[in-house]
Amino acid sequence: MRPFELLEPSSLREALGLLDTADETVRPAGGGTALMLMMKAGVLEPSRLISLRRIEPAWAEISQSADAVEIGALATLSAIEHSGIVRSELPVIARTLRTLANVRVRNVATLGGNLAHADPHMDLPPVLIALGASVIIASRGAERELPVAELISGYYETTLASGELIVRVRVPKQFARFSAYRKITTRSADDWPALGVAVALDREGPVLREARIAVSAAFDRPLRLAAAEAVLRGASIDDEAVLIHAGDAAADEARPIADERGSAAYKRELIRVHVRRALRDALDAQGGTP
Amino acid sequence: MKTIRFELNGEPVTAQVEPHHNVVELLQTMGLRGARESCGQGLCGCCTVLVDGLAVSGCLYFAAQLDGARVDTIERTEREGELDVVQQAFAECGAFQCGFCTPGFVLMTRQLLAHNPAPSEDEIRHYLSGNLCRCATYPEIIRAVQLAARIRKAGA
Ligand SMILES: Cc1cc2nc3c(=O)[nH]c(=O)nc-3n(C[C@H](O)[C@H](O)[C@H](O)COP(=O)(O)OP(=O)(O)OC[C@H]3O[C@@H](n4cnc5c(N)ncnc54)[C@H](O)[C@@H]3O)c2cc1C
Ligand code: FES
Ligand code: FES
Repeated sequence: MRPFELLEPSSLREALGLLDTADETVRPAGGGTALMLMMKAGVLEPSRLISLRRIEPAWAEISQSADAVEIGALATLSAIEHSGIVRSELPVIARTLRTLANVRVRNVATLGGNLAHADPHMDLPPVLIALGASVIIASRGAERELPVAELISGYYETTLASGELIVRVRVPKQFARFSAYRKITTRSADDWPALGVAVALDREGPVLREARIAVSAAFDRPLRLAAAEAVLRGASIDDEAVLIHAGDAAADEARPIADERGSAAYKRELIRVHVRRALRDALDAQGGTP
Repeated sequence: MKTIRFELNGEPVTAQVEPHHNVVELLQTMGLRGARESCGQGLCGCCTVLVDGLAVSGCLYFAAQLDGARVDTIERTEREGELDVVQQAFAECGAFQCGFCTPGFVLMTRQLLAHNPAPSEDEIRHYLSGNLCRCATYPEIIRAVQLAARIRKAGA
């Protein structure tokens, strides 16, 4: 590893000040799990890391209002997995975390670092996109809110400007919306996914009003599948054939990229089958507990 | 170089660290070899240590960030020279061959049982999925965890 400096500011304000520089080799660190791997591999050589772990504990809090759950960017993935608020309001997130990396990584990794990393294989981004979540981004003297779908712009790329930090994630409560995530692994049960499919369904009685389908580990970033979503709009939930049509539409519109966990053709077939199954899961789960 | 102070297995210690040192490297300079680096990528658990009571991968944790923390390694024993319930169960079940992975599995099992005193086999498999045993003693390890849970329950 190339030599670097590690700073540990004690407030968000101070951290934003330290990050307000034109020097692109100054980087924020959350849990440091992804950073350390990139530094060991030599693909990232920061001159200075600004660790966020000693900023005010409020930035790790999980709270709720009438219509949303707010999660501080410094909350660890374990804290989110075991949070009572998350388990009751957003059980799909708690279920997803159970097979994300391993206990030791989840004990250290933060939500902000998870989203800013933008590895297209990650499990949480498609789930948060399907749930309609947004990130609150702070920079020195300014704050903005952005849908998670617009945060991740490509292969390990985000729309964050230098000097900006993710400080909170806001996830709308799902009420009558039902969601599911399927992580398909091809090497071992708790591996990185060969495909991730997240769905959230809004129904009124037996009719689907809206469906959101977000797929990861198949493209350069997690993407919604609009054609498959269109098939479901206005359909009856009792019509099993419509789920098959949605899977076919998803496979037709997707342009998967091969990686070491599956070829493009294989991923296309995974999409066909697992979009259908994820829809079934969401209809069966009806918001069940993790 | 930075001077850090932390609690190591119950004793206050100070150490000199460089920013790029990880926890395994630091512990080795302090004569502790129970946490060992194998994959170096967070995958195998051979480098497991507890920081403020939580299991972490020592290979993915900057040593400098131990400043002010409470650190426990496999070298910490409840009573001088005695094995704890989990270690006894691992020995009883023959849950190792070369033993390289064992410190990590023992520390993770202690954490699991502290949170979940009677885990199902599925829960054991999920919890330990981030620990690899190249000798493949997995069936024995699962039996050892179940035995440790039973002994703990009987003793409670
Ligand atoms: C062994 C292993 C297995 C894994 N398996 C999986 C898996 O199965 N599924 C999965 O989804 N992921 C997996 N991961 C990835 C893991 O989820 C990420 O490493 C982790 O979430 C990153 O969080 P962090 O806080 O450690 O980020 P860091 O390493 O601290 O930071 C990552 C990036 O985000 C930036 N950053 C950090 N915090 C912020 C912030 N608040 N605002 C803006 N930018 C920020 C950093 O500068 C850096 O570019 C695995 C990782 C490991 C080590
Ligand atoms: S050496 Fe740290 S997890 Fe493998
Ligand atoms: S006993 Fe040899 S690696 Fe597990």
